Amino acid sequence: MKRRDFLRSTAAVSGVVSGAGLAMPRLARAQGARVLRFVPQANLSSLDAVAGTQYVVRNAALIIWDTLYGIDSKFEAKPQMCEGHEVSADFKTWTFKLREGLTFHDGERVTTRDVIASLQRWMVRDTMGQKIKASLDALEALDDRSFRFRLNKPFSKMLFALGKSNAPVALIMPERIARTDPFKLISEYVGSGPMKFRTDEWVPGASAVFEKFAAYQPRAEKGDWLSGGKRMLFDRVEWKILPDAATAAGALQNGEVDWWETPVSDLVPMLKRNKALEVAISDPFGNIGSLRMNHLYPPFNDVRARRAVLMALSQADYMQAVVGDDPELWKPLPSFFTPGTPVYTEAGGDILKGKRDYEGAKKLLAEAGYQGEPIILLVATDISITKAQGDVTADLLKKIGMNVDYQALDWGTVGARRAKKDPPGKGGWHIFHTWHAGADCVNPAPYTALDAGGDAAWFGWPKSDAVQADIAAWYEAGDLAAEKAAIAKLDEDSFANVTYAPTGFFLQYQAWSKSLSGVVKAPFPVFWDVQKA
Amino acid sequence: MFAYTIRRIIATIPVMATVALFVFSLLYIAPGDPAAIIAGDQATPADVERIRASLGLDRPFLVRFGEWVWHIIHGDLGTSIFTNLPVWHMIQQRLEPTASLMVLTLAFSITLAIPMGVVAAWKHGTWIDRAIMVVAVMGFSVPVFVIGYVLAYTFALQLDWFPVQGYTPLSHGFGPWLSNMVLPSLALGAIYIALIARITRATMLEVLSQDYVRTARAKGLDQRAILYVHALKNAAVPIVTVIGIGFAALIGGAVVTESVFAIPGLGRLTVDAILRRDYPVIQGVVLLFSFSYVIVNLLVDLLYTLFDPRIRY
Repeated sequence: MKRRDFLRSTAAVSGVVSGAGLAMPRLARAQGARVLRFVPQANLSSLDAVAGTQYVVRNAALIIWDTLYGIDSKFEAKPQMCEGHEVSADFKTWTFKLREGLTFHDGERVTTRDVIASLQRWMVRDTMGQKIKASLDALEALDDRSFRFRLNKPFSKMLFALGKSNAPVALIMPERIARTDPFKLISEYVGSGPMKFRTDEWVPGASAVFEKFAAYQPRAEKGDWLSGGKRMLFDRVEWKILPDAATAAGALQNGEVDWWETPVSDLVPMLKRNKALEVAISDPFGNIGSLRMNHLYPPFNDVRARRAVLMALSQADYMQAVVGDDPELWKPLPSFFTPGTPVYTEAGGDILKGKRDYEGAKKLLAEAGYQGEPIILLVATDISITKAQGDVTADLLKKIGMNVDYQALDWGTVGARRAKKDPPGKGGWHIFHTWHAGADCVNPAPYTALDAGGDAAWFGWPKSDAVQADIAAWYEAGDLAAEKAAIAKLDEDSFANVTYAPTGFFLQYQAWSKSLSGVVKAPFPVFWDVQKA
Repeated sequence: MFAYTIRRIIATIPVMATVALFVFSLLYIAPGDPAAIIAGDQATPADVERIRASLGLDRPFLVRFGEWVWHIIHGDLGTSIFTNLPVWHMIQQRLEPTASLMVLTLAFSITLAIPMGVVAAWKHGTWIDRAIMVVAVMGFSVPVFVIGYVLAYTFALQLDWFPVQGYTPLSHGFGPWLSNMVLPSLALGAIYIALIARITRATMLEVLSQDYVRTARAKGLDQRAILYVHALKNAAVPIVTVIGIGFAALIGGAVVTESVFAIPGLGRLTVDAILRRDYPVIQGVVLLFSFSYVIVNLLVDLLYTLFDPRIRY
């Protein structure tokens, strides 16, 4: 019996028992309704969502630090720390004014000095920030509460840039912290957000504690993702790092934790049977699976070889391997963009539709000059999503006559190997898998994986002038219609280039105690307005 | 014996130096990159490269090793690459849970295993002996995580006697502390109980066939006195040796047990650090484990003199 099967069966039995009411909540009862115990998706090993882009770090940072603007559930950026803004007709001058009464957790007032230092650090790391920086004539303080961007080129997406949720996030830190090298992690965690981080209670790898910031002044509007009033109804939010899925399931059923961000799909049916728990899809934007090929070396330096993989790729196979048999959890995605969003398009995506063409793929591979060389497939076997995708890819490549060198590694090793530009036989690679949060795939700004700038692009180093021109066109688009046109062209050119191969769209469940109310659907856990009975 | 103890303590220095060199070299050649993990999945290769440089990971081996050793000589184990917290602080946070787990495991194991071994030897060849040995074989054969899940399911989820996971510091009360520690200690102790019970049985069988035991029986001494006063003391040296050797197994088992029961101990710290390639933390923890192992073995050697007066250093 495998460990995974064993934990599934023990957890399943425990679910029946718990459902029958034998496993009674104990610790949670004793702790009262003012403490929320949350099991995050991964270990919180740092807190710098500017220097790093890990989702778990971003999720924690959004509690501690506030942003000037914040996106809402319609992906529209609304004022958050700012009172409002003025923009010139040519989108070159942006003037902002901070709200009154903003203070950091150490009691210091938030001023434009802090804002400017924070934005300068962020602009070094973030793609949109880099665009702003590239056309920046000045970022200047007008007084303690007002500041101005003076640009030499129009930039209409300023508010989205300042309010977006994907890392690097434009978080506002005290000037002394924001002066940290953007490529080094900060070591002081003082923000002006709704909760303070208790560094003294932080046990990395085990727990992290956030305490309500009494001086925080939420906006008057209703909270909506990162916008509006962030009203904290808990005194403490305690993150419990539970790396073992069966343990997390047991803790949730036993009332020792209140909310589990990413229950593994094996355990979801059992959790659903427990009447004390709510199990639901909380991030409607889901995720896009990714098969990433190395564009630098044969055979995938030839677009015909990359197309051959697309012709044979069955998204249904991938998605069933990733999320199991639950049809609610996945759908085919003949697109690079998140379904259900305003700019969604399937332009160019026909190659992923219909019957899979293995013979056509073999023929195309032969035309690309493939002669049976080993294809180095890096598979992070410690992460179920990458492991499942890797297994399907190994099978797919064999079906189209490729010689697969399946290298089972941990994610840490894949992370290092994929950065190597060496030839595949000398430490390099041909294919690795990952996935992208759907909320990051709504437009090209946060979508690093779609960039095709060659050497400067994301791992695999795709190069396509057409794709780059389409991305530039989106940045210049002044309205939704122009954005849609740019995105449709980008999707088409990305398929033509096979920048990467989308393996499908999938969703994940979250599970929480029914004693909680106010849990909202969002691509990150939203703690404000949540309360416990 | 004092001089011997001092000599042994001094001898730990080259041992620790060898461990330090070995661990550092191993991590240097091992694949993986903390910069890539800090940068996150969405970062560009250029970002990863800049972070690597800012961490000093692009410097030559000897420079990095020399710097690390220099800091260790000055009592500084370094700073975590990820948390920016001192490694010693992170170890201190984790010492109590791991020490609790090990001490309680040891207490459970010795309390249960030695009587089991003694009784098995005494009732050699009977169903009692066989039953005890079946339990011991199971302790060896069933992985720690399986025992952990079964215990958690039965005593936490089904009977609701103990919590599923977590750790309560001893300073918050003995009851809550013990409540969190019972299941993990039993799970971790299974293999240890099996090991000690088997070696106790084997050694006792040998001792019980000695002439002086027969003489004691002939003199009409109470069976309990024969077993626990005369025989067990003479069987103690191999048992103590096994307890010492088993310490290494205990460290390995603690890694799994702490993960299953979400105990914030050194085992989990080690695993997390390895997965993230947090080199200073891995190096610090491995040095600590090695030092503990050396000290435990020294204590075992010193205990020999207590049980066998013929042994002199």
